Amino acid sequence: MKFLPFILKHLRKNWIRTGSTVLAMSVCIFLFCTLQTVLAEINAMLESSGASRLVVRNSISLVFDLPLAYGARIQAIPGVKRVANTTWFGGSLPAKKEGKSEEGDDSTTDWSRFVPSMAVEAEPYFAMYPELDFKPEEWRGFLADLQGTVIGRKLANKYNWKIGDHFFLESFIPPYRKASGPFEFVVRGIFDADLNKYPGTDTNVMFFHYKYLYEGVGQNLNAGTYTVEVADPSQAAAISKAIDAQFENSDSQTLTETEKAFRAGFISMAGNLALLLNGIGLAVSFTILLVTANTMSMAVRERRTEIAVLKTLGFSSARVMGLIVAEALTLGLLGGAVGIGGSQLIMYLLTHTPGLSDMLLTIGLTSLTLPAGVAIMGFAVALFLGFAAGFVPAWGAYRARITDMLRTV
Amino acid sequence: MTMVDVRGVRKVYKRDTQEITVLDGIELQVPEGEFVALMGPSGSGKTTLLNLIAGIDRPTSGQVTVAGTDVGQLSESALATWRSQNVGFIFQFYNLIPVLTAVENVELPLLLTNLGRGQRRERALTALKVVGLADRAHHYPRQLSGGQEQRVAIARAFVGDPKVLVADEPTGDLDAKSAHEILELMETLNRDFKKTIVMVTHDPRAADRAHKQRHLEKGVLVDDAVKTGAY
Repeated sequence: MKFLPFILKHLRKNWIRTGSTVLAMSVCIFLFCTLQTVLAEINAMLESSGASRLVVRNSISLVFDLPLAYGARIQAIPGVKRVANTTWFGGSLPAKKEGKSEEGDDSTTDWSRFVPSMAVEAEPYFAMYPELDFKPEEWRGFLADLQGTVIGRKLANKYNWKIGDHFFLESFIPPYRKASGPFEFVVRGIFDADLNKYPGTDTNVMFFHYKYLYEGVGQNLNAGTYTVEVADPSQAAAISKAIDAQFENSDSQTLTETEKAFRAGFISMAGNLALLLNGIGLAVSFTILLVTANTMSMAVRERRTEIAVLKTLGFSSARVMGLIVAEALTLGLLGGAVGIGGSQLIMYLLTHTPGLSDMLLTIGLTSLTLPAGVAIMGFAVALFLGFAAGFVPAWGAYRARITDMLRTV
Repeated sequence: MTMVDVRGVRKVYKRDTQEITVLDGIELQVPEGEFVALMGPSGSGKTTLLNLIAGIDRPTSGQVTVAGTDVGQLSESALATWRSQNVGFIFQFYNLIPVLTAVENVELPLLLTNLGRGQRRERALTALKVVGLADRAHHYPRQLSGGQEQRVAIARAFVGDPKVLVADEPTGDLDAKSAHEILELMETLNRDFKKTIVMVTHDPRAADRAHKQRHLEKGVLVDDAVKTGAY
């Protein structure tokens, strides 16, 4: 500790160089932490997918729907336990008009207040999701009310919704909009999830009756997707093939995949995304390593006489080497702290800024929290970069002879 | 007691395949408390001999014993520890650490001791008082004149109470007045603090302050010009 002021004074001496190196390193750690957090969130989301659930969609694109008649035909395929029409509604809350205190038919839509919302066939759908936990009386109330909706705890907390509250939603998808204005919903249930048992379960979502949507738009509507539960998860691949074969010669061919694969596809091929994000992180880290190593080499080169003086005064080569490595580690420590702080800040802004948080919701990311493991790893990377950058010049100082260093001024 | 005992020392540098003999068969004994000046033309091996005495270089052959220790037998780390306890080095160009204040520079060798922070600072301030720079303790080297910088460097050299002070042309970069002050100071350290001093110099006036002058030419000690009346 008695050498710390000595190290800090050297870092302060060339504060522009120190500052820019710390900044460069912090950018690296910032990217590392942020990208790893995004990946962790995506993985958690994918891990929450059930192994026994399949999603059937139009083989051309998610944008195209599927005939309602497909539901019964899928149900008839051997091995299929349940089928539920599952249609992504994509609603947003209406904005209050100036001078009006109530939301309603005459309000405009505030697209930044996006609510992840799904129209489903309630009974088969929720039977497939034991992780969603309802109070029995709320469940009964939801089934009895066509306008009823069940909302996840996170969403309820976000808008401070309680049982019995009314609100309006309008979809950004034209076929799901009605001429008379937004759909009105009544909160009939708030569900929770046991995150210890089912990690990654999303409670920032609402569900309502598909029938309400169907009738609201004049009974002129197909199914967005079908969620299918299979009796034996080991047969999922065979059943997926059987479902797609069933509709092979129809106008709307299907693509059936596991819920995990479907979600991965939904968030832009998460497998490749992981590779891309890790690749970016690695490339940036390597670049920063070179920058920091260069900075440290320059710093040591400039101080050859000083190192010789320290050795002459009785500082051992190992101690001199330790001082240089400690200086580089301090750069790493500062860079790590700034990078992790910056990552925390950007995540807070992303999840608390209207518009940005809704943009994340559209790709299925309901939260972004820097996990402690990622923060520790970020610090470890910062310290490693510091050590790696400082080691070579420190080794040079260790090996250099006093008389040689005194000769080169 | 002989403080510095150099026996049959030879120092050869290799440059590519060529061998350059810098010192050849040096015999030098410096009794405790003596002030010796090493003189000679450039390239005669003065600084090399000083470096061997200070333990920052090793002889090719022969023996260098300082304060009773054969420095050639010590490992690198043991030699570093030995230097911190036995030798104070004064450079021609002062070589103060620019980011440290005068008192911090003087305190630097004490970081290698077990002294507490307060004790280190107290000793460093005392050393600065001895060299007459107590009022400049918190100035940085760039805020000091050359003579003042050298006085701080001298304070740094003796703050650890070493047995031997070695000085490599301590007045070589100074004007006549500052050089005079530095030599006065070195005489004081020798006379009042009983420090054994070995000083390399080109300057005959500086050499005149020493008790004994030794002349090197082409790596060989050529005479024994003992100054009369110096004691």
